[in-house]
Amino acid sequence: MPEPILEITDLRKRYGDIAAVDGVSLTVEAGEVFGLLGPNGAGKTTLLSIAAGLLPADGGSVKLFGQPFTRDSRELRHLVGLGTQDLSIYPELTGRENLRFFGKLYGLSGKELRSRVDEVLTAVGLTDRANDRASHYSGGMKRRLNLAAAIVHGPKLLFLDEPTTGVDPQSRNHIFEQVKALNAAGLTVIYTSHYMEEVQTLCRQIAILDNGKLLACNTLPNLLKCLDTTVRVTVTNAPPGFAEKLGAIPGVKRVKASDGTFELTVDEIGPVLAKVASDCVAAGAELTDVTTTEPTLERVFLNLTGRGLRD
Amino acid sequence: MAIFTLATKDLRLLLRDPRSAVILLLTPLLLILVLGLALGEGFVEKPDDRLRISIVNLDKGLPAKVTFPEKPWADVVIDDLSATENIRLEIINDRAEAERLVARGRRPAVIVFEPDFSDRMQRCSFLTHADPPPINPLGRDGVRLEELGATLLTDKTQPVSASIIEQVTQVTLLRVVIPWMIGKAFQRVGDAQFMADVAQRLNKVKPIPPPVLEELDPVVQKLLIALTNDPRFQAILLKEFREAKGSNVVDATRDALVIAKRKDQFQIAVHKAFQDREILERLGKDMSFGEVLTPSVRREIGPRVKSGVGDLFSNYNFEAKTWAGLVKSNAREANEANRVEYRNTSGTGILNRGALRYQVLVPSYTVMFSFFLVLSVGWLFVAERKHGTLVRLRAAPLTRAQILLGKLLPCLVVSLVQGFFLLVAGRLIFGMTWGSRPELLIPLVICTSFSAVGLSILVASIARTETQVAVYGTLIVLVLGGVSGSLMPRDLMPEQMKRISLITPHAWALDAYSQLLASPNPDVSAVLLSCGVLLAFGVVFTVIAWWRMDLD
Repeated sequence: MPEPILEITDLRKRYGDIAAVDGVSLTVEAGEVFGLLGPNGAGKTTLLSIAAGLLPADGGSVKLFGQPFTRDSRELRHLVGLGTQDLSIYPELTGRENLRFFGKLYGLSGKELRSRVDEVLTAVGLTDRANDRASHYSGGMKRRLNLAAAIVHGPKLLFLDEPTTGVDPQSRNHIFEQVKALNAAGLTVIYTSHYMEEVQTLCRQIAILDNGKLLACNTLPNLLKCLDTTVRVTVTNAPPGFAEKLGAIPGVKRVKASDGTFELTVDEIGPVLAKVASDCVAAGAELTDVTTTEPTLERVFLNLTGRGLRD
Repeated sequence: MAIFTLATKDLRLLLRDPRSAVILLLTPLLLILVLGLALGEGFVEKPDDRLRISIVNLDKGLPAKVTFPEKPWADVVIDDLSATENIRLEIINDRAEAERLVARGRRPAVIVFEPDFSDRMQRCSFLTHADPPPINPLGRDGVRLEELGATLLTDKTQPVSASIIEQVTQVTLLRVVIPWMIGKAFQRVGDAQFMADVAQRLNKVKPIPPPVLEELDPVVQKLLIALTNDPRFQAILLKEFREAKGSNVVDATRDALVIAKRKDQFQIAVHKAFQDREILERLGKDMSFGEVLTPSVRREIGPRVKSGVGDLFSNYNFEAKTWAGLVKSNAREANEANRVEYRNTSGTGILNRGALRYQVLVPSYTVMFSFFLVLSVGWLFVAERKHGTLVRLRAAPLTRAQILLGKLLPCLVVSLVQGFFLLVAGRLIFGMTWGSRPELLIPLVICTSFSAVGLSILVASIARTETQVAVYGTLIVLVLGGVSGSLMPRDLMPEQMKRISLITPHAWALDAYSQLLASPNPDVSAVLLSCGVLLAFGVVFTVIAWWRMDLD
């Protein structure tokens, strides 16, 4: 059983009448990439800010590596890296100067600092431009430098708050690959995004947040299990009792018939669809249309919140 | 360590921000340069309603030791001027400098006491003849300066001012020359030479008219009676009669007794003779008035004539040689404090290097622009928020104190560099002096910087955007600069405003700079007091900023 790195219990934060975080509890285990999914204003950044020790909570608790973590916990901060949603770098310093500065803040110095800076510059693909001022970087390069600044001191837990917002595809891939590599190297990552595909690709566990509430928190397969896989077929000249025949196909859970259209709730599309086709031929019916629907995170989110992620 | 890391980073950012260099270093230099060229000498002169009389004293002094005056005549005149109400004296050591000042219109008139001024003054006299030859300095319009060995250099473009100075000079010279000449002249009244001259003139008056002799009858009678009644006279008479050639004792004795017995008739006869016009005409024919003024008579009469004249004009003392003595009033004491030595304060060259105005301009703008640090520091804080780096600092293992001190330190360094840079530039470019106690400039710059950094952090704790920093910062700096006297010499401010201005740190800094840069003997305690107050300002500003600063 992997040990929990971050334990959030009944966390609450209000801004006036608005509950930005409303009783959220979750646990992040060591070595995983934890996805925090939610639309804009869902409370992701507030939750992350409290978890990173930037904001005080109104209630609840945060434990980091088994210890209570508040704004005053200085030592634990060495273990945390923060990749902010907005850029957090000095435009008038070079990439290398930025990294050296942030490395020094965490106590790095001398050879260790130099090697760490070179290492992260290589990792984010900015070695060639390391001595250029950050103000001369493209948006994507700035994002990569922002990520590098978050990891230069070698944290154990990395908060990444929508790190790919406004990023070109090349940099996005870089960041993506870097997060994967960091995770592979043992870094635990909490990744917030409103891009389903990013979370779906990167994260083992995903928490869905909306209006400050935690709606779901599970692995992707378990989240997808909440939704059905359907095969919708339109058939002409279907003989009587054709619906029952379809319902008898292995793997079909339910059949809903209506004017020559049959909606099958299935476990797996492929085998069922092949059997449906052969049954049509055998019954002398003509298969005129097939539509399949698989469960996705988008649908899970829609199902949970009643609206799309980017509404 | 983290504080130095933060400070180094901010220093680097400040160095790379051209706005800071322009505002903190270039702008004050340019303003000092422009004002240094545009402003005249009067910019730094203390307001003084008194009339300035400029003097060049080339007087070589008295030709020999004399009983009066005790000092060269030019000094006597200068003393008199210095004692005059509403006049201030300016002593210029160099005639060429005086001519230059007048030619450039910077002085409407300058009085020059030439090298022979004392010599010529000493010779001033009402006498026609004397040794050495006398000088009469008085003319139609008063004292003729050229006769006295004095020159009035005048600027023809300022006739009114020059005329006023000339009139003041005339009055003073009259006050000095007139009693000197009267005193000398009155000394001569009734002296031996004077009486001899009188007798000589009276010798020419003859014959003596009968009425004059007739008036002498009582005197003759008085003399005759006294003489004939005197026994010794009778003895002398008897002896003369007896010893006369061909005389015998009996006759001589009888004749002497006749005179003695007939003296009354003799007196009457003489009296009658003095009433006889014919006799008197014959008597006076070969006599003159001067014969009456024998040397002894003259010695008796001379002093009495003098005292008689004195008694006649008893409100004056004609023997005195000073104005106070002449008019019998208290002497006016010379006012040593009422005279200053002229110093060339306009500088040299195109930049007017070394001009006095830079002693005021450089510290004024050094102080005012040290507080423009509020803009740089404010922008530094705003940039930290704007670039999101404040979040990263807060996420780092830093305390609030470390973050704030990390900001304070580079600001203080920048302010110190600015302060010393402007003072060095003031010396190298504008030729200003650092005064007699330059070492005291160091604590003053440090304390001013500390105060400026405190105010800067305070503004940074209030302003949230670049615009707010620019508006609040500029407003505060300009208002404080205006109130404190950074924009104009503090000496030109009314006393009440000067006192009010002490609510600003600028005013304390400027007062200390004034002590160190403008005073030959700076009041060290006043400088140290200013430093203490500046530190207190800095502490108060910083404490309030610490309390207000929101890093979230």
